[in-house]
Amino acid sequence: MRPGRLIGKAILALAGFLAVFPLLWTALNALKNNVDIITRAPRLVFTPTLANIGYIIGRDSVLTGLYHSVVACGSAVLIGVVLGLPAAYAVARYPNRWAGDIQFFVLSLRFLPPVAVAIPLMVIWLQVGLYDTLPALIITYSLLTISVIMWLAIPAFQSVPNEIEEAAFVDGYGAYSVFWRIALPVAARSLAGAVAFSFVLVWNEFLIALMLSSSNAKTLPIVASELSQQGMNVPWGILNASVVLLSLPPLLFLGVLSGFLNSVFRQKKT
Amino acid sequence: MSAIVCSHVDKAYGATTVIRDLNLSIEEHEFVVFLGPSGCGKSTLLRMLAGLEDISGGEVSIGGKVVNDLDPGDRGIAMVFQNYALYPHMTIFDNIAFGLRRQKVPAAEIRKRVDAVSRTLGLDPYLGRKPAELSGGQQQRVAIARAMIKTPKVFLFDEPLSNLDAKLRNHMRVEIARLHQSLKTTTVYVTHDQLEAMTLADRIVLLKEGVIEQIGPPAEIYLRPANMFVAGFIGTPNMNFVEVTVGRTGNGWTLTGAGTVLSIEGRGFHLRHGDRAVLGIRPPDLKTAGAAGILQGTADLIEFHGNDALVTFGSGGKEISALVPARECPALNAPVRYTFEEEAIHLFDATSGASLRKQ
Repeated sequence: MRPGRLIGKAILALAGFLAVFPLLWTALNALKNNVDIITRAPRLVFTPTLANIGYIIGRDSVLTGLYHSVVACGSAVLIGVVLGLPAAYAVARYPNRWAGDIQFFVLSLRFLPPVAVAIPLMVIWLQVGLYDTLPALIITYSLLTISVIMWLAIPAFQSVPNEIEEAAFVDGYGAYSVFWRIALPVAARSLAGAVAFSFVLVWNEFLIALMLSSSNAKTLPIVASELSQQGMNVPWGILNASVVLLSLPPLLFLGVLSGFLNSVFRQKKT
Repeated sequence: MSAIVCSHVDKAYGATTVIRDLNLSIEEHEFVVFLGPSGCGKSTLLRMLAGLEDISGGEVSIGGKVVNDLDPGDRGIAMVFQNYALYPHMTIFDNIAFGLRRQKVPAAEIRKRVDAVSRTLGLDPYLGRKPAELSGGQQQRVAIARAMIKTPKVFLFDEPLSNLDAKLRNHMRVEIARLHQSLKTTTVYVTHDQLEAMTLADRIVLLKEGVIEQIGPPAEIYLRPANMFVAGFIGTPNMNFVEVTVGRTGNGWTLTGAGTVLSIEGRGFHLRHGDRAVLGIRPPDLKTAGAAGILQGTADLIEFHGNDALVTFGSGGKEISALVPARECPALNAPVRYTFEEEAIHLFDATSGASLRKQ
C-alpha cells in the first residue's frame, strides 16, 4: 500500500476512534461500580452492575423528565413538521418578494445566542402565566423546530426538479396534491434529515429548558445535570447511565426514521 | 376546425417581452414543430399552450375552447418534457397510470390501458421498476407512454430528444414519427435541432426573439426562406451570403460583389437598379466549374464529410463554402472555381433582410 493511502487510513481510523470511543466508554461506565470508574488505570475488565441503570430508571424525577422531554420534543417536532414543511414548500416553489427575507429571518433565529432568546421568553411566559408549564416549552421549542425544518427543507424542496411537479399539473393534479403526492415523497429523504436534526436539537436543548422550568416542566437534560449536583462525591456511574438514557431516544428516532425511509425507497427488483 | 389557435398572444416577464403579438393556427392531426435558436421563446410558447406559463395578452384556444384560464389538467393536453420528468418515487406502472387515477378511471381499465400502451412502446418488462433503473431511451418512452395514455387532444413535446445520444435520438425520432402516423394526434414539438424539425414536421414555425419568422412545410422553408434569418438558420452547412449591388441591363440584371459580376434574368425577384442586396447560395448548390466559374478563390479549408467535402475559399474578401462530391475535392491552397444555377440563388433586401422573391 502506498504511504499516502496508509496515512489516510490511519487518520480515518483515528477520527473514527475519537468519535466512537467516548460513546463506548460512557456505555461501559454506566455498567461499572464507582470503584471501577475512579481507578487510576482505566479498567476494561470489570464485574458489570445494573445498579446505576436501575437507580436511574427507579427515580421518579428521571421518569418525569423523560416524559416531559418526550412530550415537549415530540409535540414541537410535530408542530415543526406540520407548519414548517408547507411553509418551506411555499417559499421554495411560490417565492414572492418576501421569500428571501423569510429565509433570512428563519435563519437569524439561530444566529442569536440562546441566552438572548431565553431571557425575553422567560419574561413573556411569566407574564402570560404559563411559566414552568409544558405548553410554554412546546411552543418555544416549536419556534426552534419550525425554523430549523424550514431552513433545511427549503433547499430540499428546491432540489425537486420543477418539471416533475409540472408533469403532475399536466396530469391534472392541483397544487395541494402535487405537494402531497410529488414534492413530499420525492424530497422525503432530505426532509427526514431535517426533521431528525430538529428533534436532536430540541432533545439536547438545555439552556432554554433551564430558564423556562423550575419544577413542573423539567426535561431530561435538566434532570440529568442535577444528578451531578449531589455533593462532592460525584456519582459517575449514575451520570453515565443517565447519559445513555438521554442518548437512546434520538438514536431510536433516527433508527425508526431511516428504517421507514429504506422501506419506502427500497428499489423493487423484478 | 383548428386544433389550436393563438391570436395576438403576448408573453412578458415584467418589462421584458418574450413573445410579441403571435398569431398561429394549428390544424387537427397536424404535426407542427416550433424551431428556433435558444431564447427565441419556443419553449415558453409551448408552456403557454400547456398552461404552465400565464398568458400575458391575447387568446389561446384548444379544440375550439379558450383555455387562457384553464389549469393544465383541464386543457386536454399531454406533455413530454426534455428531462422526461418521471415521478422518481413511483414504479413505471404508477408513472403511466398517475394521470388516469386523477380522472377516477376504474382500476381494471387502468390496468388494461397501461398494458396496451406499454406493449406499443415495448415497456411491459419494466412496469414494476423505478425510473432510475431505466436507460435514458426507456425513460423517454415512459414519458411518451404517460402522455399517450390520456388520449389527449394535443401532444406537446418540449425538446424530448435533446438528452439522448445521437444514435438513440435518431431511433426515437423515427418512433415518434411512426407514433404520429398511427395515432394522428395533433402534435406540437419544440426543438432547436433543424434535422428533427425537417424530418418530423408537417409545418415548421420558425421563431426568433418571440416573433414568428416563417411558417411553412419543411421544403418551403428550405427552398423559399422568407428572410435572411430563416435562410441562415435552416440548412447545414450554412447558406453563403454575399453583399451585392443590383444593376439593370438590357434583358436582365447584374449582381456585383465578392469580386465577381453575375448576370441573371431576375424574373422571380423584385429588383431595382442601384439597390444593395444580399445574395444567398447554399453550399451544395455550388458546382465545380472550369474556366467559366462565377466564384473563384483559393481553397483555404477543406472539411471531409465522407461522401462530400466542404471547401471554404476566399472570394473578393468573403469566405464562401461549397459542398462538393469528395472525388472533386481540390487540394488545399489550390485555386478553385465554382458556378451555380440561377434557380438556386436567394436574394434578400440588404437592410430589412426580407426575401426579394416574388410570391
